[in-house]
Amino acid sequence: MSRRLLDDEDPDRLYTVTGGRSRTDAIALDLVTLIVSESEPAPGMQSEHVRILRMCRRPVAVVEISAELAMPVSVVKILLADLLDTGRVSARHPVSGAAGSSLPSGDFLRKVLVGLHNL
Amino acid sequence: MPEQNPLPHPDRRKPVARPLLAALVTAVLVGGLWFWVTTTTPHDARLPVAIAGGVTGLLLCFAVFLAVYRADAVHTSEVSVRRAWEDTQQIRGAAEHMRGELARLLDQVVPALVQKLREASSAESALAEIGQPPDELHQRILRTLATEIAVGERRRAAAMAACANAAGRVQALSTSMLADLREMENRSSEDMLGDLMKVDHSTAQAGRLADSIAVLTGARSGRRWTKPIKMESILRGAMGRIGAYQRVRVHSTSTTAIAGYAAEDVMHALAELMDNATKFSAPSEEVHVYVEDLHNGTVITIEDGGLGMKPQALARAELAVSPTEPLDLTMLSGTRLGLAVVGVLSRKHHLHVFFRPSSRGGIGVVMRIPNQLITQPRLEPLPEAIPQRRPVAVGAPAAVAALEAPTLTATDSRTDGRTDTAPGEPLELPQRTRGQTLQSAQPARHVAEPSLTERPRGDAGSRFGAFQQSRTRRSIEAVEPAEPSWPEHNDA
Repeated sequence: MSRRLLDDEDPDRLYTVTGGRSRTDAIALDLVTLIVSESEPAPGMQSEHVRILRMCRRPVAVVEISAELAMPVSVVKILLADLLDTGRVSARHPVSGAAGSSLPSGDFLRKVLVGLHNL
Repeated sequence: MPEQNPLPHPDRRKPVARPLLAALVTAVLVGGLWFWVTTTTPHDARLPVAIAGGVTGLLLCFAVFLAVYRADAVHTSEVSVRRAWEDTQQIRGAAEHMRGELARLLDQVVPALVQKLREASSAESALAEIGQPPDELHQRILRTLATEIAVGERRRAAAMAACANAAGRVQALSTSMLADLREMENRSSEDMLGDLMKVDHSTAQAGRLADSIAVLTGARSGRRWTKPIKMESILRGAMGRIGAYQRVRVHSTSTTAIAGYAAEDVMHALAELMDNATKFSAPSEEVHVYVEDLHNGTVITIEDGGLGMKPQALARAELAVSPTEPLDLTMLSGTRLGLAVVGVLSRKHHLHVFFRPSSRGGIGVVMRIPNQLITQPRLEPLPEAIPQRRPVAVGAPAAVAALEAPTLTATDSRTDGRTDTAPGEPLELPQRTRGQTLQSAQPARHVAEPSLTERPRGDAGSRFGAFQQSRTRRSIEAVEPAEPSWPEHNDA
């Protein structure tokens, strides 16, 4: 196990990965935002960007990118913000608005609840 | 010498005796002559003749006495002068001999003695090995010298060992702190992350300082990596250890890696060079790092836009990193350890460091890493596997296909944009069983660079392993259902 941990360690620190930034305010990304890459990785790109672009050929949640890169979500968000700024990926928020409009009304749900209690 | 003693006695007697004898002989002869003359002269002339004879005889005797006395004196002084000259010659010979002895002592014996003492032998054994000079005074000189140098050497060695030991402890401490900080960063909230990064940065710089002291005191630097470190990580690792890392711009498309045993030292040397570049250029200037793979190694150029170096400083810098000159601790000036450290590290790993004027106005430092330190990075788990497992977790209709033939879809994505051999691969893939895959994945990562056709086999396992590990580390519940379903369908 310890050998495995030693093997997995890398010499680069997180602040060098993000260039010293620890937060990004520009874009609202949450854990389940789906990311899709819009272009192929270009030579000379940061390796994390390359990996994100490869990984996101199909939509992947931010949290999964974080797990795959073994990096904190906030660092991944900074990396994604860079890619979003250059238009290399796009973010799709989970469809909460559309789903909200088609939800059954409160009255109906209450009726269901009462019915369940009666069972 | 022995004949000198009897001589003075006759000499001392002679001045009086010989002239007296000569005067006596003269008196007898002249007296006899005048007596004969007087007897032969007539009686009336006898008295004046006798008087004249007596007077002249006396005068003659006196003259003879004086002449002989003077002659003796001259002779004596001649003898003494000659003797004095001989003495001088002898003394001069002895002095020449002594001088030769002393020169031999200084030119041969003392350097040999110092050499022995530097090789950590004690004063007594070094003196015994050298052999004692015949002169007693020289022996004393040699003994005093040996004792003093031995004490000095012991003091130096003790100071070095203490420094190396302390540096080693700080190294160990900073390594474990960096690991802990990374762990904390992984768990931290967004607000804490910035602060943790600051501490991380300071710790990394402290670690570099400890590494520098360790290198200068002859101890080993930092830590050993158990895998090749890819160039990007080398550069970022180096950047992370300097204060103004945000001013460093890296331009690299290199895909090579540095062998694990040398990675830390290369990183450290680069960090020192980058630190110099950022320190000796204006805070608004950026430092540019270029990486180029050549047939005889990898060349890393660090260019700054500072003031450059004066010829004297340049000569000193070149001397510090020269491949032939050993480290001279007396050349260290308290505040500037960087180039001395680079020198030690480059001599250890045969890195070549050159300085040249930069087109940006400052200095360009060129470091060539020889081919024997260059290798290929280990295969990283390619990240495409995730999308295939995601449908399983979500349970979307698309998952059905993946459940039925997970290996097939995995192959499809892997070969995306690479080769068109996908149709052939599913035939060999189902041969793998659950245990074998994970087992074979670990050794596969130690192989330097399997060819492209070999890739899929090693990748699937290591990808799976990496995902599993990272997922358990992050404990993401969302993907949890994927775990049991994967082997199930693999078996089916």
